[in-house]
Amino acid sequence: MINEARIGIARDLQLIRRPEARVGVIPSPVGRLLVAESNRGLATIHFLTMDGAERTLEKLRKKFDLIENEASTRRVGAEIDRLFKGDMSVLEHRVDLSVVESEFQRRALISLRTVPPGAVITYQGLAAAVGHPNSQRAIGTTMATNPVPIFVPCHRVIKSDGSIGNYGGGVANKLKLLRAEGFDVGRDLRLPPRAVMGHRKTRIFCRPECSAAKRADSSRTVYFADAQSAAHAGLRACKLCRPT
Amino acid sequence: MVFDDFVGRAGLTSAMATFNLKLPPPFDEAVKSMEREIMRFLMRSTGDREDAKDLFQETWLRAYRAYPTLKSEDGLRPWVFRIASNLCRNRVRDRMRRARVITTASANGAALPESASSPIGGGPDGVLHLKRSIARLPGKQGQALMMRKFAGLEYAEIGAALNCSVESARANVSQALRKLKADE
Repeated sequence: MINEARIGIARDLQLIRRPEARVGVIPSPVGRLLVAESNRGLATIHFLTMDGAERTLEKLRKKFDLIENEASTRRVGAEIDRLFKGDMSVLEHRVDLSVVESEFQRRALISLRTVPPGAVITYQGLAAAVGHPNSQRAIGTTMATNPVPIFVPCHRVIKSDGSIGNYGGGVANKLKLLRAEGFDVGRDLRLPPRAVMGHRKTRIFCRPECSAAKRADSSRTVYFADAQSAAHAGLRACKLCRPT
Repeated sequence: MVFDDFVGRAGLTSAMATFNLKLPPPFDEAVKSMEREIMRFLMRSTGDREDAKDLFQETWLRAYRAYPTLKSEDGLRPWVFRIASNLCRNRVRDRMRRARVITTASANGAALPESASSPIGGGPDGVLHLKRSIARLPGKQGQALMMRKFAGLEYAEIGAALNCSVESARANVSQALRKLKADE
């Protein structure tokens, strides 16, 4: 009788089943992390130095059937280790944004992934990039609730005044991640004095005071720590202001 | 690498526990670990094979939908029994309500549908009377009694299922038994 009933349950569950996600805790250069990964990609990274891990698990469980899995989380740990050794390709790891309810937030997080390592973007620039140039605060909330930090690089978002701003995993970790990507932040936690502005469409970089830079559409601009980083990212120097 | 030391010391599968992050077992494992117990409970509670099978499936589907609300493995058993006993009581009550409608119809001279003649649950009259009496008991008393007598749960488990103390669970069972005796 149980066998018959099992068949009925399996049939019905197939229709309402949540996708599976593997979950575990790993150490990393930015502290212990709670990590969850589905078949579509990384679904969550939570810094265990910060509060809220139980709430993160609750949110995950509403969308996924969670299973503790060592192999899966070890792999993610190894990738973060490689990132800190200079291998930026690990950041192309797919992400699963199922826990993000809002379409705006999903678009902002996806757009953020196009900001290259070694560059930063302002909250305003990211807001403009998703078609809402006056919605910096909504971008701020989106960054604060980013379910997959590091791989959705909210550490690359700074304030328009050049200050580094906050970070859900702690400002110290924001600095660690930026430095690991080759973006050196000064002790004053601001854009370094030799920072240049890069245009993502023209692929030209300028000094921030250049007239071309001042006219540029903020939705297309990012900042590099210096000219070398911009050149390394494949941009060429502006012929007007000749940044070096 | 630091990572391997960490795993060696703590064991990754207990790493979540060291941060007080608990998960209940994967749902399929939970079903496997409890399916015989739940089926036995449902058979004893309903006395009817088809009813028990139907409620068995419904129990596990409801459990799956609500699984994200279950905090850890500790609460699993009482939680599933609570779902199953709720479903049982509702099933018996529904049948009693329909029986009353049929009885009223027959008193008014209406033709009875065939199913009206089959006893609820298919058991002898004594069992039928018992199930009706249990269904009439107030919420926690009826559930506590079913869990104690049909599933053999400990009072601590009944308390966990009904969100009350062990003493309360014990009191609910004895009050239920007293009322059933008075019903005879």
